[in-house]
Amino acid sequence: MTPRVTPLALSVVSLAACGLVLGIFTGRPELVVAVVPLVFCLVRRSSLGSGDWRITRALSADQAFEGERVVVTITVSAGGPVPVLELFEPLPPSLRLVAGSHRGFFTLVRDQSVSWTYEVECRRRGRASLGVVHARLWDRAGLQAVDSGAHSSGPLRVYPRRLPLRRLPRPRQTQTSVGNYVASSVGQGLEPGDIREFVPGDRIRHVNWRASLRFRKLFVTQYHQERNADVILMLDTLSEAGAAPETTLDASVRAAASLAWAYLARKDRVGLIEYGGPFRWVRPGSGRGQRERLFEALLRAEVVFSYVRGDVGLVPRRVLPPQALVIAISPLLDPHFEKAVADLAARGFDLVILSPSPIPLVRRMMPESPSVVLACRLWALERRARAASLQRLGLGVLDWDPRQPLELALAGFNRTRRRLAG
Amino acid sequence: MWLPPFILAVAVLGYPLLLAPARSVLVIGLAALALCALGLVVRSSALVTACGVLTLGQYALSLWLAAGPPRLAGAALFGIGLVLLVETADFSRRVRGATLGPGLVASQVRYWVGFAGLAGVAALVAAGLATAASAVLRLPWAPAFAAGGAAAALVAVTIALRRARG
Repeated sequence: MTPRVTPLALSVVSLAACGLVLGIFTGRPELVVAVVPLVFCLVRRSSLGSGDWRITRALSADQAFEGERVVVTITVSAGGPVPVLELFEPLPPSLRLVAGSHRGFFTLVRDQSVSWTYEVECRRRGRASLGVVHARLWDRAGLQAVDSGAHSSGPLRVYPRRLPLRRLPRPRQTQTSVGNYVASSVGQGLEPGDIREFVPGDRIRHVNWRASLRFRKLFVTQYHQERNADVILMLDTLSEAGAAPETTLDASVRAAASLAWAYLARKDRVGLIEYGGPFRWVRPGSGRGQRERLFEALLRAEVVFSYVRGDVGLVPRRVLPPQALVIAISPLLDPHFEKAVADLAARGFDLVILSPSPIPLVRRMMPESPSVVLACRLWALERRARAASLQRLGLGVLDWDPRQPLELALAGFNRTRRRLAG
Repeated sequence: MWLPPFILAVAVLGYPLLLAPARSVLVIGLAALALCALGLVVRSSALVTACGVLTLGQYALSLWLAAGPPRLAGAALFGIGLVLLVETADFSRRVRGATLGPGLVASQVRYWVGFAGLAGVAALVAAGLATAASAVLRLPWAPAFAAGGAAAALVAVTIALRRARG
């Protein structure tokens, strides 16, 4: 902790020297007398205090969704007198200050504690680290200062924002566990199916009395089973376009989080494959724990350049079950991803591509000009041609403008599936 | 927080006008005031220092134009005002946009009031000693000022550097 002279001290020295020089040239004693307070200010030793202080930080929440606000409370306690303490907490780019200030000045007497709060808005998913608080201890005059830092852990997890979803793409095939889909097989369920003759062992409550009275024989109603499904979200992290926090990857992650949340709420098993250089995945599962695992994985999703290109054939069967609905979320910027989904479709997976369009995100960053408009139109045509070539392979492509609700893009799912089936 | 240094600037720049109400003094004073205002707006301590230099120049000019007997009490007040101007301007620059803890401004004002009293006493004591010494010793004025000024500047810089090294 070495004190350093501040620019103010140099200013005072300059003014004193200037006053003395003018005094000599004019031969007036008043100028020399006027310099005396300046010299007195420099000579007078002003204490920097004991330097015995510490901080503690508290967050109103240690996890939040994008767009939510978190209140940060910093408490400064002093073991001895502190003349002027300046604290500054640099904010990571994923957080934005919305109320208060992340810089504060305090004066403390012995054993005094002061609390200071400010509010931040979580702009982008990720782990925001509020770690080091920069501190500067000033003397009262502001002529000398000591810089130091205080570490106080404050991890904040910012999860991707959930987009409202009411209707979801329905899987073709269901699994064996109980869920919300009406399966073609009959058994225990709520949805009435076929009627058949009574056989010993059938429950009396399943007897269809109306049919039994008409045909003078006992008939029972069969019910469709209600089953769940496996849904695999395949996230393209090979490339992204746009500026943070509105890149195609951000839009993809938000879509993946929303779909995961909605499918898990329907008791489906949801898994995640992050298709970047090397694969990263989360095995399919259901429940609250699985939601935490998926959101943690989505927190870390980012584009990392790699020469490694994974083959989907290497993904274990337990990660990519054969009867799963695969929702590939990709801006279709990298041909490797298209090849991967074509491979999956060739292996008979029920697959649909949700493609957040990079065009509006990139266009927003650029000044409006005829050449930009033309380039965007050509890009849109190229994307349309690429989608058409994928549709010829039997893949449904849902184009999504990230400025529009996700539900609008998913509404075209059944139409696309019918068209491909026809 | 920009108002206290601005009021001090007006007061410090107004004093030379009282001594010598001349157009040249007024022009320099207005230029210094403009520099001070700009320094407060853009939070530049260099501009405030430049304002201080112009203020000293304006004061020297007014003393030269007035050419009366020495006004030492006024000079001490002028010096105190100049120190408080640069200190308050620097303080306002530092704390702008920041959260201020309880009692910070009050304790800072108490410090400045105490400093003004002590600096005023020191300036008057120095002036008294100088007057007494001038009655006893018959030194040529300019070389004595030059030597004293150089020594004072040297001492100030030395102290500043010693503090910088801790």
